[in-house]
Amino acid sequence: MANRTYEVMYIVNPETSGDKIEKLNDAVGKLIKKEGGEVVRMDDIGLRNLAYPIQKKTEGHYVLFEIEGSGQEIAELERRMRVNDMIMRYITVRVDEDRKKADKVRAKREARQVKRASFRNAPTAESTEAPAEA
Amino acid sequence: MAEKDMEIMNDRDMNLDEDVIGDRPRRYQRRRPRQVVPDYLDWKDVDLLRQFVPERGKIMPRRISGIPAKDQRRLAKAIKRARSMAMLPFVAD
Repeated sequence: MANRTYEVMYIVNPETSGDKIEKLNDAVGKLIKKEGGEVVRMDDIGLRNLAYPIQKKTEGHYVLFEIEGSGQEIAELERRMRVNDMIMRYITVRVDEDRKKADKVRAKREARQVKRASFRNAPTAESTEAPAEA
Repeated sequence: MAEKDMEIMNDRDMNLDEDVIGDRPRRYQRRRPRQVVPDYLDWKDVDLLRQFVPERGKIMPRRISGIPAKDQRRLAKAIKRARSMAMLPFVAD
């Protein structure tokens, strides 16, 4: 199956101890590997203020994973996160398609700019025409 | 190219001079000309998203932000994702 890239972010209860959070992150990484995915990036963002209270907490410990895989590991990971009571919130976003789209847009724009530049610089004979066009 | 840009902006400004309907000026701010939204809009980039979320927490409408419809849709999605992860408020008072 074509490889997909996902961003998984979760908020851990801020009252859990540091080594417990580390253990949880390790477990997540292992689970992904076991299910055939690959961890591209793991970022322990740390404590952040929440924009609104969740489970009566005003802070949360944010962790971000970037995962490459088929999507199977995501299903399993979400199942586990749902039942884990240390995790207050989680989100999974598929990013590969949006990134590809962004690259396409950027490439198109750059190509257009190159074309314009060559148009403006090369034909000096047509320079009399240019103001009318603008 | 630069000249063309200027012309478009001037056009917009001219439209904006019609802000006054009847004798009451419209309350909202003027349309900001040519807002640029990045090609890849990251839902985690709270500082960027905040530009489009005024104090009340609502998503800024397109008539005020002045961004293209396509970008507005992407932006709205990103803001909603950030909201669900408590990075942006649903309502702020």
